[in-house]
Amino acid sequence: MKYTALCKFELSAASRAEAIIELLDLFPAGEKSRGLLAGALDVREKVGATVVHDSIALPHCRSILVDKLTVVAGKSQTGIPWPEKMVNTVILFVSPVKPNSPQEHNKFLSHIAGKIRKSGDKIVAAGNQDELLDLLGFQHVEQGE
Amino acid sequence: MDKQLEKLISLHDLDVMIADLNRKDIRKRETEMGLHTEGALEELKELREAYCRNIDRKWRGLYNQLTRHYGNAVVPALMGRCAGCLTRLPTAVCSDPERNLKVHTCPTCGRIIYWAD
Repeated sequence: MKYTALCKFELSAASRAEAIIELLDLFPAGEKSRGLLAGALDVREKVGATVVHDSIALPHCRSILVDKLTVVAGKSQTGIPWPEKMVNTVILFVSPVKPNSPQEHNKFLSHIAGKIRKSGDKIVAAGNQDELLDLLGFQHVEQGE
Repeated sequence: MDKQLEKLISLHDLDVMIADLNRKDIRKRETEMGLHTEGALEELKELREAYCRNIDRKWRGLYNQLTRHYGNAVVPALMGRCAGCLTRLPTAVCSDPERNLKVHTCPTCGRIIYWAD
């Protein structure tokens, strides 16, 4: 199964907070909702950074501010301090709050875990957007689609 | 957006995070992925206390009461209906561009309503 994802291949963020805001800018949500989502994602990171495979970060949460699973993948050429480790790939996702969404959320986590286990090094080294999304099993959608 | 409404939405998302980390399947999956969840639950609960202290007593009481009763206290309005009980919301409220500038509740189930921006 391919999940749809937004993507920003050249992140300019120099910090975790900036990276989250830069990726949330692609979200199909208003400014206020994006601000609240940034707060929720920041809380999740503060209680336990979501860095896996050394340089991949997975900021995520479930929120009533989205009505479907929304995924944004990002890549930084210079690296982003997260803050203890440098990361170059960020996969940000927010699942909705619905009766079956814990299962959906867990299924997506399982999908990501499988892709990272299988191709973690390739994901970190992906040279372009299509390669990155393909390795992650994502189908690209443009902002606003 | 009304500050109390913002805080109630944030509290709701924090409660969802706490509930998720209490779920064995999600915690197991996150641990398998190498995400550290030890201690996170306690920190989130402390944060929840701090969030609650910043919410007016009236709304905090209603939030806790609704959560106990329904499991979710804050819901979006979808196509003019409460997403919790599907009651049609008053047209005057739904069409008001400043509808998020105060806390609205569903006239039927009492859940706190917000409109996605």
